[in-house]
Amino acid sequence: MASGIPAGPAAAVKNEADLVVIVSSRSPVSALRPDQVAAIFLGQTARFPDGLEAVPLDQPLGSKLRDEFYERVASKTPALLKAHWSKMVFTGRGQPPVEAPDSAAVRRRVAENPELIGYIERGALDASVRPVLMVR
Amino acid sequence: MPQHTSGRLLSFPLLAFSMLLGAAAHARDDAPGAGAEPAWSLSGFGTIGAVHSSERKADYTASVLKADGAGATRSWSPNVDSRLGAQIDLSLNRRWSAVLQVVSEQGLDNSYRPRIEWANVKYQATPELALRFGRIALPMFLTADYRKVGYIYPWVRPPVEGYGALPFTSSDGVDASLRWSVGKVRNASQLFYGRDDVDLVAPLHAYARNIVGLSNTADWGALSVRANVISAEVTTDIGAALFNGFKAFGAQGASIARRYEIDHKHARVASIGVNYDPGRWFLMAEASRSRTDSLLGATRSAYASGGLRLGSFTPYLSVARVRATSPTHDAGLPVAGLPPALAAQAAQLNGGLNLLLATIPQQTSQAAGLRWDLATNMALKLQYDRVTPHHGSRGTLINPTPAFRSGQTAQVASVALDFVY
Repeated sequence: MASGIPAGPAAAVKNEADLVVIVSSRSPVSALRPDQVAAIFLGQTARFPDGLEAVPLDQPLGSKLRDEFYERVASKTPALLKAHWSKMVFTGRGQPPVEAPDSAAVRRRVAENPELIGYIERGALDASVRPVLMVR
Repeated sequence: MPQHTSGRLLSFPLLAFSMLLGAAAHARDDAPGAGAEPAWSLSGFGTIGAVHSSERKADYTASVLKADGAGATRSWSPNVDSRLGAQIDLSLNRRWSAVLQVVSEQGLDNSYRPRIEWANVKYQATPELALRFGRIALPMFLTADYRKVGYIYPWVRPPVEGYGALPFTSSDGVDASLRWSVGKVRNASQLFYGRDDVDLVAPLHAYARNIVGLSNTADWGALSVRANVISAEVTTDIGAALFNGFKAFGAQGASIARRYEIDHKHARVASIGVNYDPGRWFLMAEASRSRTDSLLGATRSAYASGGLRLGSFTPYLSVARVRATSPTHDAGLPVAGLPPALAAQAAQLNGGLNLLLATIPQQTSQAAGLRWDLATNMALKLQYDRVTPHHGSRGTLINPTPAFRSGQTAQVASVALDFVY
């Protein structure tokens, strides 16, 4: 389902579905488990395991990347994710993560802010961000 | 009608809400990072439902705060599940936010007049600790604080057996929520204090004072466990005339009145629920007990439900039960030896008391249903229930006609379209 960093075997077929969870290269966070990432994106915790505040940044609603991310990290279909956030919103417990329009925008905003955590296609990685979890 | 009337307590959050709204309209981006900008959002939910019941001598319904349902009043009823809700969320900055949620559904006055379900101002003291001032829905059972949002759960409605005991569904006051972790177990704890006023069928009222409760949800991967305890001091004028009659019968009558009248009586509800949901299937189970030293009596209820997710279809099965753990019959005043006129009066009072005691719910039910997710914000549900009140009780049915008999199974068919936006 998901494994820690670094990226998988270079021989692997290039798969656009390969996702990486990223933080800013200025963040001290180096690796996260899938359940830790899921907890941040589902609004169950507002901190990284080391205690720093964590703010999730989502891909757009309906994007393939987003659906695959939640399916693999949280075992949630778009409908179950909608039900989860309906429960949070309508009991006043929280609002879903802010969205950015695409991987480039997620990478740019995450690079600028060490509190942000996002996920992008593996091909969109660059040195401004640090991969903390490979999601396959 | 079930309109909450504690306007004095609600005026603070409503005033604060409008002040925050004004501030949000004028505020500048004063902090970096997501969530720092003043923002507001509008969301909502609703259900369009219809229910049919084969039991024509009483109404099947989902709540004691409904005027009618399916069965006696009409064979198909839209009033059991249909509702519309709207919510405004306001976020001023990382610390201050406010919520206002209004729901329109049938109430005891048989109108769909909207009522305020949530209205509070939240102060996020730390990422873990939040304080709220204003109205919250009471977190009883697994689903009570979001039971109006049908889209969230698999069924047409949460099992009705758990909700029959008390008419109180919200608290005007303060609450504190704390998120904390132990290893991989993530907890959300909520401690609350408040009050609730409910208008029953005019001119009856119900008051809850010193509502104190604790709710804890523990999530560990696909497993979620929620435990709740609530205590309150409850007063209502239900049966007041009856108890005045008893008090006229000397010490023995006064003692019966003291035992059953709902006058500053301590009410307690405790529940524990488990939800295991790895995605492809789910299992839920919950047990609860409620106790009031009054004619509301003491009950234990439980249910279990499971379902499979096959693409956009979720077939599910449920069983539920509620039973009385306090006496549902009282011998009342001794009639023997009284002069005939007084004996007839005493017999009438005894009869009235036992009619009230028979409303303590005792019921079993089984349900089978299918949820069809039509879109990521809309689900169509079909459900078939077999509902059987037992031991002289009318169960969770309301408006029984004189011909109603306990022990007969009502077959209930429901269709509901749930949506969120």
